[in-house]
Amino acid sequence: MSLPNVSADLIWEITRGQNAYLVSRKTAPHTQFSRDPLNLLNVHSRKYAGYVNDKAIGISPNEKGGVTVISKKAGFTNKPASGTHTVTYGGNKTARKTYKGVANQTAKSGYRADLRQVAVARASAIRKSQRPVKATPEKKLRGPAAKRAAEEK
Amino acid sequence: MASRPTVTIIGADGKATGATEVLPKVFAAPIRPDIVRDVHTGMAKNKRQPYAVSEKAGHQTSAESWGTGRAVARIPRVSGGGTHRAGQAAFGNMCRSGRMFAPTKIWRKWHIKINQGQKRFATASALAASAVTPLLMARGHKVSTVPEVPLVIDSSAFAGAEKTAAALSLLNSVGAGPDIEKVKQSKKLRAGKGKLRGRRHRQRRGPLVVYSIEVDGKDLIQGFRNIPGVETCPVDALNLLQLAPGGHLGRFIVWTSSAIKELDSVYDSKKGFFLPSNVVSQSDLTRLINSSEIQSVLRAPKGEARTKRGHVQKKNPLKNKQVLLRQNPYAATYAKEGLGSIKETGPSPALKAAFKELLNE
Repeated sequence: MSLPNVSADLIWEITRGQNAYLVSRKTAPHTQFSRDPLNLLNVHSRKYAGYVNDKAIGISPNEKGGVTVISKKAGFTNKPASGTHTVTYGGNKTARKTYKGVANQTAKSGYRADLRQVAVARASAIRKSQRPVKATPEKKLRGPAAKRAAEEK
Repeated sequence: MASRPTVTIIGADGKATGATEVLPKVFAAPIRPDIVRDVHTGMAKNKRQPYAVSEKAGHQTSAESWGTGRAVARIPRVSGGGTHRAGQAAFGNMCRSGRMFAPTKIWRKWHIKINQGQKRFATASALAASAVTPLLMARGHKVSTVPEVPLVIDSSAFAGAEKTAAALSLLNSVGAGPDIEKVKQSKKLRAGKGKLRGRRHRQRRGPLVVYSIEVDGKDLIQGFRNIPGVETCPVDALNLLQLAPGGHLGRFIVWTSSAIKELDSVYDSKKGFFLPSNVVSQSDLTRLINSSEIQSVLRAPKGEARTKRGHVQKKNPLKNKQVLLRQNPYAATYAKEGLGSIKETGPSPALKAAFKELLNE
């Protein structure tokens, strides 16, 4: 069902001033972010507003490593429970395969080619954050401090 | 529109019963946040009760000004002696225990008259917005588990709903659970004096259950009234304050099937009121721009899609042949005849011998 009185453009104009996802700080530098799970940049803008657009992609970390990609099914806007499509790229999958999958899902068959690059970038950033943190090597003493340490031995 | 859109009726188990209902005409009403907001601000003021400070406050003293010449300000001062109060300034809004500035009066204009047509327009608009999932989500409702928006539940499923446990399990099974959970989590102590005035807590609003009094009866009110955030409303007395709380469009509404069936007749029975129509029949900008009607009257774009840079950037003639030709037209002939690649052949052997002979002479 799509009634002619509603469109993504109208929804954006109604909600751009205030909505549940918007995080706005009035103090300089004035910033506007979005908490929308279907927003790839977490930025409050028409292009990235996932709840507004018929086709939108959201990428979030998977609990067991890797990324989960949710995409909206176009034409299912009034059926929220069945309106999203979820694909998981596990942590053991190579980066190349993950990015290829994300890129294909975003850009192929007329979905959202304009979001391909940011989608891959987000998937990459999530994967990077999941890597184990290397312990910082112990600092080597240099100069007079090193001499003193050698003398003590 | 050839066929009016329909909505599926969901059963008590949260699955479609197979029955559908034609969507009432109200849902095609224009969505006008400006009208809804204005009507809402007016309506929200109509519950207020007058308040004012006492007429006598700050004036219950016989203070008189001391006039000039006493090296103090000319403000009225409390007369007499024997107490600290004597000689203190009085009456002024800047004085301790003085009257407030512009004391509040009970005859302030508390209530706002709103034209009935506007109220009905706003209600229709809010109803139309309640069928738009993105607006529900933007209002903060958790509807990702809801099978369909607008959510219509078979009236027979409300049979046992006069008990709260049954009502709650019904809402959970149709996917309204997360929204109620959100309300539960949101309960906070109110900031300020409202705590002392019967408004101790503040919390979000959950789903609104709209029912038909004739078919569903009033029993379900009892079942739903203690579920946090859930409100009930009969379909023939829809209230904008519930349909668009805070003036924000997109309340999550749970309809009973008989309520949605009755909605068209509710609007038909309003004498002299016609449902507002849309000014534009197509609000999708991209579809408008790409429509054949618009595309056919547009003239072809001038020039190329790629903008040419004029003499902005210096080009390297050694690498860019066109630039080279512009500077040196001979380069064409030079390249064509292969003059650049002719090997230099020394003097012929005969000439060499002749030269040697000449040298030896």
